[in-house]
Amino acid sequence: MKFATRTLEIAGAWMLGIMWVTPLLYAAWTAFHPADFATHFDLTAPLTLGNFVRAWQAAPFARYFLNTTILVTIILVAQFLLCTPAAFAFARMEFPGRDILFGVVLLQLMVMPDVLLVGNYRTMAQLGLVDTILAIALPYLGSAFGIFLLRQTFRSVPQELDDAARLEGCTLMRRIWRVYVPLARPTYIAYGLVSVSYHWNNFLWPLVITNSVTTRPLTVGLSVFASTDQGIDWSIITAATLMTSAPLLLAFLLFQRQFVQSFMRAGIR
Amino acid sequence: MIRRRTLLAATAASAATLAAPAIARAQAMKLSFYYPIAVGGPIPAIIDGYCKAFHAETGIEVTPVYAGNYGETLTKAVTAIKGGSGPQLAVLLAAEMHSLQDLDILASLDEIGGLEGDGKAWLGGFYPAFLANSVVDGKTWSVPFQRSTAIMYYNKTAFTEAGLDPEKFPLTWAELGAAAEKLTKRDASGRVTRWGVKMASDVGNAQWTFGAIANQAGHVLMNQAGTETYFNDPKAIEGMAYWRGLASVHHATPEGITGWPALSPDFLEGNAAIIQHTTGNLTNLRSNAKFPFGVAGLPGKTGPRTVVGGGNIYFFKQASPAERAAALKFARFLTEPARAADWSIQTGYIAVRPDAYQTPALRDYVIHYPPADVARGFLPVAVGELSTFQNQRVYQALTNNIQACLSGKLTPQQAMVNTQAEADRILKPYKRG
Repeated sequence: MKFATRTLEIAGAWMLGIMWVTPLLYAAWTAFHPADFATHFDLTAPLTLGNFVRAWQAAPFARYFLNTTILVTIILVAQFLLCTPAAFAFARMEFPGRDILFGVVLLQLMVMPDVLLVGNYRTMAQLGLVDTILAIALPYLGSAFGIFLLRQTFRSVPQELDDAARLEGCTLMRRIWRVYVPLARPTYIAYGLVSVSYHWNNFLWPLVITNSVTTRPLTVGLSVFASTDQGIDWSIITAATLMTSAPLLLAFLLFQRQFVQSFMRAGIR
Repeated sequence: MIRRRTLLAATAASAATLAAPAIARAQAMKLSFYYPIAVGGPIPAIIDGYCKAFHAETGIEVTPVYAGNYGETLTKAVTAIKGGSGPQLAVLLAAEMHSLQDLDILASLDEIGGLEGDGKAWLGGFYPAFLANSVVDGKTWSVPFQRSTAIMYYNKTAFTEAGLDPEKFPLTWAELGAAAEKLTKRDASGRVTRWGVKMASDVGNAQWTFGAIANQAGHVLMNQAGTETYFNDPKAIEGMAYWRGLASVHHATPEGITGWPALSPDFLEGNAAIIQHTTGNLTNLRSNAKFPFGVAGLPGKTGPRTVVGGGNIYFFKQASPAERAAALKFARFLTEPARAADWSIQTGYIAVRPDAYQTPALRDYVIHYPPADVARGFLPVAVGELSTFQNQRVYQALTNNIQACLSGKLTPQQAMVNTQAEADRILKPYKRG
């Protein structure tokens, strides 16, 4: 019985894994071969880097990489800076209305960002920020998900450690910085990964709020290849897709172990 | 390159003689122009060039904003306008006219002075088929610009191989069905290695294919006001039955749903002998096909009929009177015969005015490459796109039922009756009186 369950689990895991990796394999195959072989599988097909060259030249990708990197960095740093004290307050401080306030923060998780498109746009227009990288980042700087996650982690930090630090004469900020943050490191890593990959891939809001090459992130640049009027050139699309997702893929492969462990510990699955 | 420079010089010169003393240079007027393509690639370079030429000529600065595909551009424009800092003009799908009107963000040509002076003559100079999605309530809401029609591309080698005359493309449904049957090739195990014909039935394209088919049956699917649809008409059902029949009777097209993005690759790799596609695809096929191919009109029940597609220039009402005038001037600049001709040559879109085909550049071009001129011949038998209020929802209802029919789950009759019932429900609030 136990054996059967185990086999089923392994088979299931393999199936999910294959389903997940197939598009990637197809992308890799198509990107490195001439367009003629996009739907012909032939091991002897000539290899080429031409698709990458064409994709790179089709749009100012260097600039888009820079924009995306600036964007995710701003968001990540701001989220850590803002979520940490908020989470600490909700986890360890007593003040009237705390639970109601926390409920309100959680409520934000239920609101789809797309619903706020017009409202956010209006705010950015009033601030005079339309068509800036800051405008892409601003609506996401405070994160209910981040606050929730860190609060749960902070609550699991033993009170004794906190008390000990206080006896040593640590100020509030020092206690957060020396006791809570180091212990919540797996949560930070896991949350950081989720945040970076979300904003690396975000499309609609950046498209709406940006107008020019100097502010647009990769995803918006990538859509140059999605124009279906002329029919789709799969080789060039897959090359561009691999190119733009490569940093994330590489980072994940390199830090795979840390990521998986962080996820296990942080309890996000 | 040389061609473009001389053209720019020529238009600048002609405009200077036309405009010269009357119009003082506008004081640093700036317009924002949303355009439905992403940054990069050849088309933005052409548009950038037009904007520069316009600036040199009039002093009005037009900033093109490349905003993704049609749907994304629409979202972006509507969001920006509702958010208080939108564009003054944009190219959006011609078929979105009713939906845009419903949002109450458009300024009609009548309001912005587009019909004053020689405006009426200018508007009368467009192909009527391209204005089919522009007029409602006696007002004109958009100017044709990036326009195409549905067209058939066929593999001449496959035609010869199947014993068909590669210079004679089928003209009627019956002929197409018979030819497609012959063109369908199966290997020893019965697996199809080449389909006779393929037409798109995926989301976003099924309604376009069907619009052409309805016209082929001699039927119009909606009223001009965009408040009523006529899907349950016997002619519409007959059209649906013909489409379904290509798979169920002739076995010449795959069962189920055929995706638009796969059409070109299938054609180029010889997996489909005939595809129904847009004129905008000609340049792509021309540079990538390794076999001789032909361009032909869509066969109809009794003779060829097609449908137009593509985008028009819209003007938005939050623009100031001065901005509206400048936007109108830019629209007229873009549709001058010489520029319409240049646009057609560089992109493959059909020039929107007959007089563009009188220009030496375009005349020489189509003599040199006749397939580029095939689509124009079918404009007299083209209709406008299916366009109603709540356009996307009606499209969705139609697409779902077409797909169910093509997969054999609904009869053509059921599919059309269902679509009509859903469309009636969607359009109920818009029925007047």
